[in-house]
Amino acid sequence: MRGNHRRIGRGVAGSLAMALLLAGCGGGDSATEAGAGAGSGDIVIGVPVGLSGANSVVAPSVVQASELAVDEINKAGGVLGRKIKLKVYDDRSGAEGAAQAFTTAIIKDKVAAIVAMETSSARNAGQPIAAKTNTPYIYTSPYEGAACGANLFLDGPVPVQMVEPSAQYFAEKFQAKTWFLIGSDYAYGRGQLAHVRSVVEAAGGKVVGEEYNPVDASDWSSILQKVRSAKPDAIATATAGGAPNVSFLKQWKQGGFEQPSLNLSLDEGTAETIGAAAEGVYFPSQYFTGIESEKNRAFLEALKAKFGAEAKTPNFLSVPQYYGIHLYALAVEKAGSTTSAAVIKALPTVSFDGPAGPVSMNKQHHAGLNIWLGQADATGKTQITEDFGAVDPGAQCPDLK
Amino acid sequence: MVGLLLDCLTTSALLFLVTVGLLIIFGMMRIINFAHGAFITVGAYSSVVAGQYGLSPWLTLILGPLAAGAIGAIAEPLVLRRLYGRQLDTILATWGLALIITQLVTLKFGRGTQPVDSIDLGTVTVLGTPYSSYRLAVIPLVLVLSIAILLILRRTRYGLVGRAVIMDDDLAQTLGVNVKRVRFTSFVLGSAIAGLAGAVLVPMSSVDPNLGLPWLINAFLISLLVGVSTTALAFASLALGSAQVLVGLSFNSVSATLAIPVLAVVLLRLRAHGFVRG
Repeated sequence: MRGNHRRIGRGVAGSLAMALLLAGCGGGDSATEAGAGAGSGDIVIGVPVGLSGANSVVAPSVVQASELAVDEINKAGGVLGRKIKLKVYDDRSGAEGAAQAFTTAIIKDKVAAIVAMETSSARNAGQPIAAKTNTPYIYTSPYEGAACGANLFLDGPVPVQMVEPSAQYFAEKFQAKTWFLIGSDYAYGRGQLAHVRSVVEAAGGKVVGEEYNPVDASDWSSILQKVRSAKPDAIATATAGGAPNVSFLKQWKQGGFEQPSLNLSLDEGTAETIGAAAEGVYFPSQYFTGIESEKNRAFLEALKAKFGAEAKTPNFLSVPQYYGIHLYALAVEKAGSTTSAAVIKALPTVSFDGPAGPVSMNKQHHAGLNIWLGQADATGKTQITEDFGAVDPGAQCPDLK
Repeated sequence: MVGLLLDCLTTSALLFLVTVGLLIIFGMMRIINFAHGAFITVGAYSSVVAGQYGLSPWLTLILGPLAAGAIGAIAEPLVLRRLYGRQLDTILATWGLALIITQLVTLKFGRGTQPVDSIDLGTVTVLGTPYSSYRLAVIPLVLVLSIAILLILRRTRYGLVGRAVIMDDDLAQTLGVNVKRVRFTSFVLGSAIAGLAGAVLVPMSSVDPNLGLPWLINAFLISLLVGVSTTALAFASLALGSAQVLVGLSFNSVSATLAIPVLAVVLLRLRAHGFVRG
């Protein structure tokens, strides 16, 4: 029964998209004009996010960051004399929910743009819908790289930005020549560790072991046994976030290993949850709450002032979302219109200076980002140990400017 | 080499620990308790509650069995008592019970992994190999537990009556045994041991609502192999636990997670009685 409903749902979405395409062909710009409206009224930004499912833990912080950005823009007089409004959709952290959310946002609610922190599968499902209608889509999550589209902009880091400076830092600081790579057996884990391997080998280092556990496995003893006999100088891990990372860190700590460990799936909030077991672990990020800058202090205070006790700790997923909303507003201002074509043209040319420094999506629709390396202490708090400065995303979409 | 041996022993001990509660319930009641994983989760979450009240993480080892045993004591009369002798229905009912418990835990504590203060014993060097003291400590714990269970079954009146119920519950009932009470006690005992297993797992795993689920599957397969015998369970845990570690070493961890299910199925095919004599 359930399967049937789903199929029907898809059919409806498909025919709606079809209808819009036909309307677009017949009536010129009427579809976009009606919704994104060059004239009066609020400018509506669609925010599909995983209110349920895997992303539901982090989603509230993402929504708050979006609301804060909108507040700041509206308080400063809005854009082109109009106010910005948010519409939040639940993408259920996956492809199916995203297809529904994008269809509702773009076709029914006629949002002017999508700015969204989502899973990669949600992005892959939503982007065709946004592309068909040429809706500007700013994707604000760190991701695996090489997602390209004329309407698609990405202000989160790609693996090379995180991995390259971190591995170089390990090589210099710990003379790490031999590495053991440990991951969860899925695209993110294998993808990240492939980057580590290529960086390590390019620098003349050696990977002495590479092991994967199933995504839902909680026992790491046989992998730790192999680390013990391989005796690497350092390890790099890319497990699935949450449970597998927690169980790995606990067992690593219990095992009494002394090698420095680079964790590509840890973030400040999780480190705090794990507490003592995360002690000493290094992890890179394009945002830490401890960044010493006027802009970051102001950002943290503004969040507190707006949400009080309900304020969620900003993180590497919510901060790019905050940038995304601001970048969109700046692009509309510069374009002098909310027409998709004009905004898409303006988006790579604007830059926003926020809590993590200036960001501009001018590298083939990707952004050069400041990257820091953090280290968790015994209480689970993260200290910034190194500032890598601005790191280039490399060639992600050679066909785009 | 030493590390490998210790891995085999500790993995086997953990397998025994998570399975023995399931086995008691199956033996005494002919019920495959699919809520076993949820009881493990409840035991682990006692560490979260202990943390909230500022209690020592060691107390979890008592609170875990108490909490899971209490839930078992509520669930048995409410859900299971009406379903004895209807094996398929009890599978459905206990699976439903598992969903309810897991959802209640999620509602109360949230979906994410919980911050817990866990027991930290550091490491100890065994013949030149540093190894987690906590993992090692699981071995004596399991030995004590299994001896206690054996003594209860062989040397107490509850054990005698219990064995009578296992052999022929109808006959036991006609002889004046209060089968109802034996079943209640067994279910609470089995649940409490699951809670203990959950509490023991805390320092090694992420405390989240799904903590017990992967253990349930292995525990279920092993219990199919060993029937109702605790001694057979000890052998099966040792054999399958070591097999898992050795497969992990010679191939990789992905195939290691397959070791127990595959071996269990093959063994059942070749020897329908599994590890039980006869």
